Amino acid sequence: MDVLISLSLNGLATGMLIFLLAAGLTLIFGLMDVLNFAHGGLFAWGAYSGIWIYTSTGSFLIGIIGAIIAGMILGIVTERWIIKPVYGNHVQQILITLGLMLVLSEMLKVVWGPNQISATTPDYLSGSWEVGNVIIIKYRAFIIAVGFTVFLLVQFLLKKTKIGLVVRAGVMNKEMVQSLGINIQKVFMFVFMIGAGMAALGGMLLGPYSGVIYADMGMEFAILAFIVVVIGGMGSFSGSVMAAILVGLSGSFMAYYVPDLALAANMLLMAVVLIFRPQGLFGAKG
Amino acid sequence: MTKVFSNNRMNIFYMIVALFLAVLPFVYDSRSTLILLSQVFIFAVLAMSYDILLGYTGIVSFGHAMFFGIGAYTVGVFMKRFEPETSYFLLAVLVTILLTAVVSYIVGLLTLRLKSHFYAMLTMAFAGLFLVLAEKWRTVTYGNDGFTFRVPEFLRDRTDFYLICLASMVIVFILLKRFTNSPLGKVLQAIRENEQRTESLGYSVLQYKVIASVVSGVLAGIAGILYAVSLRFVNTSVFTMDITLDALLMTIIGGVGTLVGAIIGAGIIEFSHHWLTELAKVHWIFERWIIFFGIIYILAVMFFPMGIVGSLQKLKFGRKKKTSAPVKSEAVSQGDS
Amino acid sequence: MSTLLKLDQVETFIGQYHILQGVSFEVPKGEVTVLLGRNGAGKTTTLRTIMGLNQASKGSIQYKGGEIKGLATYSIANQGIGYVPEDQGIFADLTVEENIKVAVKKENDETRQRLDWILNLFPDLKKFWKKPGGLLSGGQKQMLAIARAYVNDNELLLIDEPSKGLAPIVVEKVMESIQQMKEKTTIILVEQNFMMASTIGDSFYIIDDGRTVSNGSMNILRDDEEMRRKYLGIA
Repeated sequence: MDVLISLSLNGLATGMLIFLLAAGLTLIFGLMDVLNFAHGGLFAWGAYSGIWIYTSTGSFLIGIIGAIIAGMILGIVTERWIIKPVYGNHVQQILITLGLMLVLSEMLKVVWGPNQISATTPDYLSGSWEVGNVIIIKYRAFIIAVGFTVFLLVQFLLKKTKIGLVVRAGVMNKEMVQSLGINIQKVFMFVFMIGAGMAALGGMLLGPYSGVIYADMGMEFAILAFIVVVIGGMGSFSGSVMAAILVGLSGSFMAYYVPDLALAANMLLMAVVLIFRPQGLFGAKG
Repeated sequence: MTKVFSNNRMNIFYMIVALFLAVLPFVYDSRSTLILLSQVFIFAVLAMSYDILLGYTGIVSFGHAMFFGIGAYTVGVFMKRFEPETSYFLLAVLVTILLTAVVSYIVGLLTLRLKSHFYAMLTMAFAGLFLVLAEKWRTVTYGNDGFTFRVPEFLRDRTDFYLICLASMVIVFILLKRFTNSPLGKVLQAIRENEQRTESLGYSVLQYKVIASVVSGVLAGIAGILYAVSLRFVNTSVFTMDITLDALLMTIIGGVGTLVGAIIGAGIIEFSHHWLTELAKVHWIFERWIIFFGIIYILAVMFFPMGIVGSLQKLKFGRKKKTSAPVKSEAVSQGDS
Repeated sequence: MSTLLKLDQVETFIGQYHILQGVSFEVPKGEVTVLLGRNGAGKTTTLRTIMGLNQASKGSIQYKGGEIKGLATYSIANQGIGYVPEDQGIFADLTVEENIKVAVKKENDETRQRLDWILNLFPDLKKFWKKPGGLLSGGQKQMLAIARAYVNDNELLLIDEPSKGLAPIVVEKVMESIQQMKEKTTIILVEQNFMMASTIGDSFYIIDDGRTVSNGSMNILRDDEEMRRKYLGIA
């Protein structure tokens, strides 16, 4: 029983990290029709800059804030200078964002060196609670809490605010939104910023969770995030959280019982979804 | 564009270059140059196979390494498990062709009916899967570290191997020229230019895209075989994104949709790789040489989408010919209204 | 009477197709100007070009005396032009309320009054206030699209074929509403339904093969059967 709970918590925590990465991907795709292959790079940059700030200031919280800010700045730069010039051309977009991914990963190695960097949990999040005979690792609970909070915040933003309304409308019909007097470019930038901020937060949180950060972590998690985006339905925000949890849980259970097949299971899931429901398990539209 | 190449002068030029390269090892006997050039030929095959997808059909694959890796591992495993003999080598080639064809067929069938993003994503994920497989299936692959193996007699001499690589490149080039000029190749280019129109003309776009994906996958597998033989060693790096990126950089920088661009791109990237790695002794920044290519690549996609060859053609033929930028493909549905 | 909008020799390409090859017309303030013409003549493209959704390559588009050609769509809309596209452009997953909320620029008394006024005209919208726009009938979608364009204090409304695909009884309802809006705002109407056009319209322009070929007061067209047959294919 405690193994099950422990595995579930583990899966949920990983799922939340993937969610933070996938949510931005899916939002950006839904609104702008851009699949950002550099998103994993923002994730890794969030991790490096956040951990760097955390170790030099000693404050985990400042590290998190720093990661988010760094991610947002990079997000704006990406949108303005890399993606904006090639809007509307899928092939160019795919190619250029992959190129950016390459540059972002290499830049990490230039700035912080090619070796992995260790990251520790702050004291107040170290250790675990014992509930009955189940051990709950504090930091995992923290990740889950942060993930859900972000989910609720973005959900609130989308459902209850004007800008959220505009984003949802923009997903359906960009031209009409513009015809109603809304500058969609600003909305694009806003969404990109939010998405990048979430990715950077995810990367930062991963650091103490896995103990080390390395330049290729962006690519590794990006692949999981792509699987999530496909399963959840491209452009579906709530789909992405469900799919991320699913992928996180399946990864955690498979890693325990049949470790060699963990990634294969998720890949298989994606393949099945692509054959039978290309719009995604939770997506409303194709 | 095709006329440029069926043009006799161009063909004679290619022949002279090929002949020059063929006699080179007999007049200029530098081991390191021969090895480097062999590498260029091998990657030219890979890049040309990639060009069939990107340049001629307008499909972006981020998992091209998987076919390359399948070829490399197949030949490695056959040579290691069985005897390093010609018969087993040929068997390995056959198995590679079979495996890459099946995998590319399945991946293509799964995703090519969907938006281009899906193919890029799925190929990337599949390549990741093969990488994991190569890491975990230790009994066969010896994990991350890989393994060395011996090669059949006829592949042992560096000069012979150099000529084999050169011949492979030339044959693949000629075959693909034929292929792209065939009616089938024309349909692929029509798909690149305007998928919807091609579909409405009655062509099954999916079927043609899958064919392109299979042709490209098989050739990438062949390149993988040659690569593994050249090193007499194989490890998981053949499945990494780096291989796909190499193919991408070579195709884009050389010029998409031209084939010869892929060859030139392969030359540029391999030689620069070689030189920049040496420069790393001078300054550590050159160890990160890929960053320069990343930036050049981004600028090329943005401002220079036809690459070196494409731009030269445009310069030479000016506006007389309707040159199209193949990267600017894919009929975007926004333009429908 | 002052001119609100003036197009002068406007040309527009879509891809490589030369759709508009010289469209010129003037829209007097407070009137309903009807654009007529066969399918594919360029009427919709004319409206889209005014909105900046298609870019004019030549000519000028002056709104209230200022050039709006080349401006971004949103800033054209913000100068006080409302647009009801041919496909109505309803956000299917948003409720009726949200569809209107997206459009509202200022939430003040005036906007509320305009909203009340238009909702009284279209009580159906009030009935389905919390329902997704995608579930509305064709006529209701048209009403929602018109309400959405009207709710802001727009001086000019561009309405593209509001009668298209609607049952006659619904057409009447929509027509009536446009008739009433006419009191408050200037309208450019693209319309195939000549009955509707001739009842509401003050003046007309005929677009044929991407050019404005004829114009005048609506009465003229009502009496000129031959011109109707020539350009509109109707008697």
